[in-house]
Amino acid sequence: MNCTKLLPALLLSLAIAGCASGPKHSELASAIPALKAGEGRIYFYRSNSMLGAAVQPTVSLNGNVVGDSKPGGFFFVDAKAGPMEVTTATEVEKKLTFTLEPRQTRYVRTVIGMGVFMGRVYPELVDPTEGEAELRQMSYIGSALKK
Amino acid sequence: MTPMFFAVLATAAILGACATEVVRRPTEISPSSASHPLVATGASSFTLDSGYSRSIAAGTEFMELGRIGEGRVLKPLKAVFTVEGAHMHEAYPVESGGRLVGFYLPVERSFSPLSRPVDLVLERKPE
Repeated sequence: MNCTKLLPALLLSLAIAGCASGPKHSELASAIPALKAGEGRIYFYRSNSMLGAAVQPTVSLNGNVVGDSKPGGFFFVDAKAGPMEVTTATEVEKKLTFTLEPRQTRYVRTVIGMGVFMGRVYPELVDPTEGEAELRQMSYIGSALKK
Repeated sequence: MTPMFFAVLATAAILGACATEVVRRPTEISPSSASHPLVATGASSFTLDSGYSRSIAAGTEFMELGRIGEGRVLKPLKAVFTVEGAHMHEAYPVESGGRLVGFYLPVERSFSPLSRPVDLVLERKPE
C-alpha cells in the first residue's frame, strides 16, 4: 500500500470526523430560550477549519467546563452578569477575561494556534456583528434544547 | 522543507508560548455623568508592549464610562477591544489630551499603559 497516498486521506477523514454536524443557528432560533433577568448570553464557536481539527479541548467559564471547542461548532451559556474568565485546556492555557452585562450577548471564538508539540486553542472576544455573522455558518453542539 | 524551516517554526512556537503578561496596575474609576456618545474622527493604529498590534477604526463610537488618574475611560458601544499578552483581556481605551494613553481592564480593574501613545481625536456624535 502506498503510504504517501494513504496518509493524506487518513488525515482528511480524521479531520472531517472531528467537525461539528448539528443544526444551524437559524434552525434553532425558535428553541433558544429567552434570557432570564440579570443574565447575559455567551456564544462560543470555532471556525470550520481543518487546521488542527483533531485538537478539541474543553472550554471552561469561570472554572466550570461548559463545552468543547469543535471546528464548525457552537454552543451558548447563559450566565449571571459579572466578570467572566474563559479558558481552554490545551498545551498552554490562555485566558480571556471580559464583562457580561444583563441582557448582553457576547461572542467568543476559539482559534487554533501553533504550539511547540501540537496545536493550541485559545479564546478571543469578537465584535457582535462579526460574531453574529460567523455564527450562522456554525452547527449546534450544545446540550439538547426544549422545543 | 529544510531543517531551517523547522527551526524557525519551533522558535516561533516557543516564543508564542512565552508571551509576557499584559503590564497593568490597579486603579479606581470615578463614574462619569457624561451621556452623549463620542466618535473617533480618525483611525489609530498602535502596537502593545507585548508586541500585538491593535487599531481603532474611524467612526468607532464610545461612551465616557468614567475617569481614572491617567484620563477618561471610553467604553466602546458596538465594538470590542482587547489587549493581549500571555492572556487576553477586554480593554476600554483611556484618552487624555487627544491621545490614547492606555487601556482600562474592567475585569481586573487595572490600567495598562501604552508606551507610545497615539492620537485619538474624538468628537460628540451628531444628534
